[in-house]
Amino acid sequence: MDPVQKIYRLLIFIIVGTILWRVFPFLAPIIGMLLFSFLFTTIFLQAADSLERYTRSRSLGVFIILSSVIALGIAFIGSFISNMGSQIKSFSQKIQRDDFSTSIENLSIGIKESLPNSISNMVPESEKIITIAKNSMLEVFQSVLSLLSSAGSFFFVSFMVLIFTIILLIEYHDFKRSLVRFIPNKYLEVGLRMIYNIEQQISKYLRGQILAASSVAILSIIGLFILNQLGANITLIVFIGIIAGLANLIPMVGPFIGMIPAILIALMNNIGNDAALSHQILGTIPSPFYILDVILMFIIVQQIDNNFITPMVVGESVGLHPMAVMLVLLIGGTLIGPLGMLFAIPAAGVLKVVIGEIVFVTKNSHLL
Amino acid sequence: MKALYNNYFRKNSKNDPVLKALESVPIFDGLSHKELSEVARLTHERTYKKDEHIFKQHAPAEGMYVILDGAVEIKDPESGTIFASLETGDFFGELALLDEEPRSASAHAIQPSRLIGFFRTDLLTLMKIYPELGNKIMLNLARVLGERLRKTNEELARSN
Repeated sequence: MDPVQKIYRLLIFIIVGTILWRVFPFLAPIIGMLLFSFLFTTIFLQAADSLERYTRSRSLGVFIILSSVIALGIAFIGSFISNMGSQIKSFSQKIQRDDFSTSIENLSIGIKESLPNSISNMVPESEKIITIAKNSMLEVFQSVLSLLSSAGSFFFVSFMVLIFTIILLIEYHDFKRSLVRFIPNKYLEVGLRMIYNIEQQISKYLRGQILAASSVAILSIIGLFILNQLGANITLIVFIGIIAGLANLIPMVGPFIGMIPAILIALMNNIGNDAALSHQILGTIPSPFYILDVILMFIIVQQIDNNFITPMVVGESVGLHPMAVMLVLLIGGTLIGPLGMLFAIPAAGVLKVVIGEIVFVTKNSHLL
Repeated sequence: MKALYNNYFRKNSKNDPVLKALESVPIFDGLSHKELSEVARLTHERTYKKDEHIFKQHAPAEGMYVILDGAVEIKDPESGTIFASLETGDFFGELALLDEEPRSASAHAIQPSRLIGFFRTDLLTLMKIYPELGNKIMLNLARVLGERLRKTNEELARSN
């Protein structure tokens, strides 16, 4: 290549790079929406393809799938909000009463008594704990309110994601064809194979994850039901189970996020109940308000999921080493936060396919 | 929206040259107009310059091509033997729809050509969405390969 041409290329590269760098912050939300739409498209693609067989109209199939999903989603969220509302209402009434203060005081005395003197001196006075607990509860409710105030932008983003998903699902095969048009003749067959492998990789991963999430949800509901039979008094068990299943989609951190609603509800329902306060697992390990029972139950569910269900349904779908999985999760989490963790594994799987094909093309360039 | 798009931006399917070309391929024999349209929806139209390779011998094989316009030569690059000179309406590479073996010969355009590519991944998609249509294509493919096998056997018997 002649030097002038090299300088021109370098200049173009710098200009394009600068423009992209400047424009990216404005495009980031749209890219995010498109990524989510692509994710949903991949989840529902198989269903859309299968329904097209019966409805003979792809648009009708997509309409049936998405409207059922939206109806289910609205029913779930609506029912969850109304149940959670009454739960919070009764809890705030409980907070007003002395039961709350008494429970916290009893808990603090209990903890102090069970600890050696040197450490128990470091535990603050029960009054301070009551104030801290009341304040932190207030903070939680304030965060919930601020979360609701951002619901407006959430609805806009959801609406846009829905529109993109509808278009992508209906026109998926045409979009793919348009994409293939950009592949040079030389790389056509390799390119097609790569697209197919990427599709397979993502859809296998997602299907596995959805199956694993469903099983975690069902197991959690069963576990919570058993705990209730033992007197745990945990309400909204179906919702807690579904949230635990959904949280499970985020590898490693998800299971812990899934425990939080259960612990909170166990705490809310059992405050003021002396029997729950002095509850012990197998009569030996203290578990005030059944919190340790809930944590243990979720750990058991996780163990069943990790050792039996996930290997069976997800298997080697992405084929990444556990060390690589952790690294990829850390990178995803550092770059974009929880969303990054959600997308990290499938993105790494896609990257693995792309690198594999690039290596193949480099090694066999004489054949193309 | 799709109907609107089809009405204003897409060609009338009855005069679609892709559909006409697919109609003449034995692999798509017995397919209704609607079924052919479904196949056409998944195919890829490509343009090749004179002497441009469509695929090389031993390259990974993914599917078959139908010549929409132009001419293609299939040959063994090592011995220089020309296996076939194909023209508009002819098809080649259909074995790749069934197996993942590398190409046994090279194909290159001997004049500027327009081809329709139908690949294994497209066939798999079709079999998933319309299993009945997929089965028809597979049956036709088996028939074409069977005919070729019979012809080869006859030629072998004749040469012996």
